[in-house]
Amino acid sequence: MLIELLLAATFLSALWVFVASDETAPKLAAWLSLVPLGLSLYMWTQFDAAGNGLLAGSEIAFETQIDWFQFGQYTLQYHVGVDGVSFPLVVLVTVLTTLAIISSWTPIDERQSQFYGLMLLIEMALLGVFTSLDFFLWFIFWEAVLIPMYFLIAVWGGPRRKYAGAKFLLYTNLGSLVMFVGLFMLVLGLGDSLTQLSLPAIAQGLQAGELSRPVFGLAGADLRAVAFLLLFLGFAVKVPVVPFHTWLPDAHVQAPSPVSVILAGVLLKMGTYALLRFNFTMLADVATSSPAAEIIAAVGVVSVIYGAMLALAQRDLKRIVAYSSISSMGYVIVGLVAFTPHGMSGATFQMVSHGLISGLLFMSVGVLYNATHTRMVGDMGGLADKMPLTAWIFVAGSFAYMGLPLMSGFVAEVLIFIGAFDSTVVAGAPVFTAIAMFGIVIVAGYLLWAMQRAIFGPFELETDYDIEPAPVHDVAPLAVLLGLIILLGIQPDLVYEAIQDAIGPVLELNSVFGGELR
Amino acid sequence: MAVAPGWYLLLSAAVFCIGLFGVLVRRNALIFLMSVELMINAANINLVAFSLVYGNITGQTFVLFLTALAAAEVAVGVGIILVVNRNFDSIDITDAVTMRW
Amino acid sequence: MVGLTPLSAGFSLPFVPGIGGVEVTVLFPLVTFLLILAFGRYLPFKGAYLGIVSTGVGFLVAVATVIQLATGAGIRHETLHTLVAGVEGAGVTLTFGVLIDPLSALMLTIVGLISLLVHVFSLGYMNAEGEIDLPRYYAALSLFTFSMMAFVISDNLLMSFVFFELVGLCSYLLIGFWYRKPGPASAAKKAFLVTRFGDYFFLIGVVAVLGTFGTAQFAGTESFVTMAETALESGDASGINTFGFGAQTWFTVIGLLVLGGAVGKSAQFPLHTWLPDAMEGPTPVSALIHAATMVAAGVYLIARMYGFYALSPTALSVIALVGGFTAFFAATMALVKQELKQVLAYSTISQYGYMMLALGGGGYLAAVFHLTTHAIFKALLFLGAGAIIISMHHEENMWEMGGLKDELRTTYLAFLAGSLALAGIFPFAGFWSKDEVLYETLIHALGGGSPVLFVAYALGLLAVIMTAFYTFRMVLLTFHGEPRTDAAEDPHAVSLSMKVPLVVLGVLSVVAGLLNMAVLKSVLPKDALLLERWLNGETVGGEFAEGALTAEHYHHVLTSEYGAGYTAGYGGLGEGTLALVGGVVALVLAVIPALVAWRLYGGADPDPHMTNLGSLRTLLMNNYYQDEYQVWLARGVTLPVATLANKFDQGLLDGIVDGSGGVSLFAGGRFQRLQSGVVTTYVALLALGLLVLLLVFAVTGGWL
Repeated sequence: MLIELLLAATFLSALWVFVASDETAPKLAAWLSLVPLGLSLYMWTQFDAAGNGLLAGSEIAFETQIDWFQFGQYTLQYHVGVDGVSFPLVVLVTVLTTLAIISSWTPIDERQSQFYGLMLLIEMALLGVFTSLDFFLWFIFWEAVLIPMYFLIAVWGGPRRKYAGAKFLLYTNLGSLVMFVGLFMLVLGLGDSLTQLSLPAIAQGLQAGELSRPVFGLAGADLRAVAFLLLFLGFAVKVPVVPFHTWLPDAHVQAPSPVSVILAGVLLKMGTYALLRFNFTMLADVATSSPAAEIIAAVGVVSVIYGAMLALAQRDLKRIVAYSSISSMGYVIVGLVAFTPHGMSGATFQMVSHGLISGLLFMSVGVLYNATHTRMVGDMGGLADKMPLTAWIFVAGSFAYMGLPLMSGFVAEVLIFIGAFDSTVVAGAPVFTAIAMFGIVIVAGYLLWAMQRAIFGPFELETDYDIEPAPVHDVAPLAVLLGLIILLGIQPDLVYEAIQDAIGPVLELNSVFGGELR
Repeated sequence: MAVAPGWYLLLSAAVFCIGLFGVLVRRNALIFLMSVELMINAANINLVAFSLVYGNITGQTFVLFLTALAAAEVAVGVGIILVVNRNFDSIDITDAVTMRW
Repeated sequence: MVGLTPLSAGFSLPFVPGIGGVEVTVLFPLVTFLLILAFGRYLPFKGAYLGIVSTGVGFLVAVATVIQLATGAGIRHETLHTLVAGVEGAGVTLTFGVLIDPLSALMLTIVGLISLLVHVFSLGYMNAEGEIDLPRYYAALSLFTFSMMAFVISDNLLMSFVFFELVGLCSYLLIGFWYRKPGPASAAKKAFLVTRFGDYFFLIGVVAVLGTFGTAQFAGTESFVTMAETALESGDASGINTFGFGAQTWFTVIGLLVLGGAVGKSAQFPLHTWLPDAMEGPTPVSALIHAATMVAAGVYLIARMYGFYALSPTALSVIALVGGFTAFFAATMALVKQELKQVLAYSTISQYGYMMLALGGGGYLAAVFHLTTHAIFKALLFLGAGAIIISMHHEENMWEMGGLKDELRTTYLAFLAGSLALAGIFPFAGFWSKDEVLYETLIHALGGGSPVLFVAYALGLLAVIMTAFYTFRMVLLTFHGEPRTDAAEDPHAVSLSMKVPLVVLGVLSVVAGLLNMAVLKSVLPKDALLLERWLNGETVGGEFAEGALTAEHYHHVLTSEYGAGYTAGYGGLGEGTLALVGGVVALVLAVIPALVAWRLYGGADPDPHMTNLGSLRTLLMNNYYQDEYQVWLARGVTLPVATLANKFDQGLLDGIVDGSGGVSLFAGGRFQRLQSGVVTTYVALLALGLLVLLLVFAVTGGWL
């Protein structure tokens, strides 16, 4: 019942803000966004899921399952619920949306009611993605995310907003199409035994045995492999994985900073979340088979190093953070493919952690931009003098990004490394891990360089106005995020315990382990 | 005294072709609209005819829907023509091309 | 250290928690950090007093801990905080805990003492000079004290890494304290980046240890050190995952990976380049972080897990060689430097080289001993340099000084004590410890260790000569002769808050050597080697003394078949005689260059003799172009590669994406011509289409 309340409250809030006046919308949206935030926090206290929502023998929290309509042999359902993997992301969505809305007060100065309405609408769609357990419902939300995001980029964005918005929409939509084909190959392959499109039903059907019916002349293991590939390609665009990442920097640079926060903080996690749910849970047998695992690990490592190298070459602060997001999401891939307790759980933890950290960085870049009206590292200098609080929070965020201990990024990365190093699934796992770990050196390189040039040194910016310290409502969200990052860095078990609990059953799928978990 | 179905079809085809001919060669929007009506009615004839042949009432029911649709279409169509006339000072359909590419 | 013979059990300082309250000690500076961060502006002296109080308490607790250990309280090993719990035994558990044993208690005392003194010194150095942003300074200093203490008491490798990184952060913040100037900002970046490069290997090492043993604990039967030892001793590595390598090979690999972190932090070749640049920071910071404590973290780390290194002769040889070479290499550069702090920086690198040499040469005790004495006398020298710099109005070039000894009496005497200790002149602290380093290396080289040990030993001896020379050059140029500038004519007076730390450290520099007078071991009763007894756990209690963390046990592993296989050889002389001979040789090697320095620079107006070295001097002044090649690696290699990658990304990858969009746009542009806007055309097309369809059906359907 709580999830319905969550979705409905967000949706109605969005409608209310749409009809509100431009003057009242910012504050109204912030207040209204407290409702889902409060709800999700209350749900945290009530959270009692056990096991993985997609697999047998689990207990899904806040589950609702109602038949919706009949489509051929399939009963489509309204089926929602959360487990240890999805719930942290639900909380992440509500937290980040509220903070992003507050940090929009300064930069968004036109069409406010529409802007904040769309922000709340995207929140609802994101909540839907992370709570839906029926494929049809999930896909509706999955696609529904794109629409508000397109408008948020294309209306309130920078000079090339239309290009960036269209590129984002088309590219990710193409990914969705490929993914959809992949999943339907599986659904059709399952044949008559499948009577609903609920994700647990599909997952458990796939675990149960061979695909009975050929699709496109493919059957059995071949069908699974091709479907795996299609699903992976589809989600790879969303994550994004090199070489399907080129929409990301454009979208990030053009989008207003609060939108970048949502984009980097949550939207990218849709890709890795879906990878975990579909590729690594439903088709765990393919994911752990020999060449596939090594190829995916290699793709992850390339994402880490290549993304970091690209970030090294950038001069625009937002582009730097955007490319390093690619790098950070590469770690998630490396962790997922390892199929070890800390690898997979650490990857999931990294989704949450990176959501907070990249959110913090984009937000603080936005606050700096509000004052300086430039994002070029070369143009700035000595901002620590003019905007001390913002600048130092930016420094703290950068260190979080570099994986400074006692911050969530470190825990996530170390867990991934520990898990990946040990992997029995990926041949040569230690080598892959060691190469991926070099990312922590490169990330330090470009962020330290950016800080030295933009934050420290003599003040250099030439403006015809005085640069004032940022207002409280700009800095407060940054401080909240920093606090959360440190909290999760010191006490990761706040969410990690739930994650581990939900990842456990996935690991047992791996035949390589054969019950022997280290 | 049943007429063979082929004749109905012939009539329908003839009416349809007249309508099509009108749509293809006339430039006056009103005539254009009338020609569209003719084509709809050609379809109606078919529906009624097959309804009779197969003794199935569905076809005739559909004709009722189509008649209503045609009326609605005329209403909208004439409305559009009035606006076109106001904007272009003619109802020549080749004039109203400002919306292309 | 008075209580090394067990006093009455249960003796402790009143109101000081001691061993049971170590974590409170550690958290105290953290609370101070938060308080200064929040209210620093409103605190008296911008938080300085708060810092002094918290580090003072820290020092007291450390002393109480030492006393309790000395009176047989037993060690403390306890897990305090579980970072990540492995569920149902799947996956490793990551924890924070304390391990208080003689080694960590000793180090804790050093950190507490130097930290306290530096805080006091800062009152004169920073506050009195009217610096702005002082709360930031004291906050960072407190954070550093917290991190360093937490690093010292770490009971597992992961926790060590955590605080290893955090002290790096504090170092970054404090080097860059004067961030408005480009120099400090750049130096801070360099320091963090270079040490991060070392930490990369360290982190792989941590991950490998966890992957191999499933635990990263230092102490106890379930520790990775003990597990590794057991595996080699029994020849049965079945309980651990060696990733397909032989057990000893794999341990060597892990050891070398962890060594990477130590090389970075302790500024060993080739990652030493950040330390001289780090002198851009305030001088008290240089004393605390870049001389006495943080830089010691690398050495301490190796010492902490020495039982693991003692298993691998290869790893030990590498450590010895790196250490010996660094000691020599850095000393050569210190010969020609003109800035006071630069000489001290290179001297620091060189001295840490000695500690590494000792560790590699099998001298665990010697390394810890030198770590202790060096912390004292190098902190003293840096603080003395700070006092000189203040009195010289922030002039650092020694050639602009001269004749300061009359005006700055206290500073001169303290500085001289530190210099004599650094040069290794009898009976100052450095003499005893440096000598033990060389002695231990020598006996293990003589005992048939790898020839690398001889090379390392020779390099160490050469470094002794140079150390004495540059030390006296520094003292003579600074304090003796005639004043060469107006500032030197009339220096500032040194305030009391600066004098007190100098005096305390000066006295300690004279007497610290008494801790372990191993040179005289043939003469002295066995009980006189206090540090040896301390690290052997003789005072701590039976359980520890038989455990795996004692110097004795390390020696046992070191000399055992399954371990490094070191044996001690005395070249035909007895153990005690060789020690004595080694001491005399080292003393002679130190005194002669000191006299040479006196001859060259002792006059009223010395000449810059180093210019006679010509191009060699240029090479040394430019630090063997080490910085240049590292900058070239960053700017000349990495950056072009990154730019190339960016071009590839924007040109090719994004080009394909944009290209596919372009094709659609182009095709659309052509096809849109069909949309003439004339309805008739559309209808005609429709009709044509229908006809075509009909035709197709007709043909395929067989009507025609």
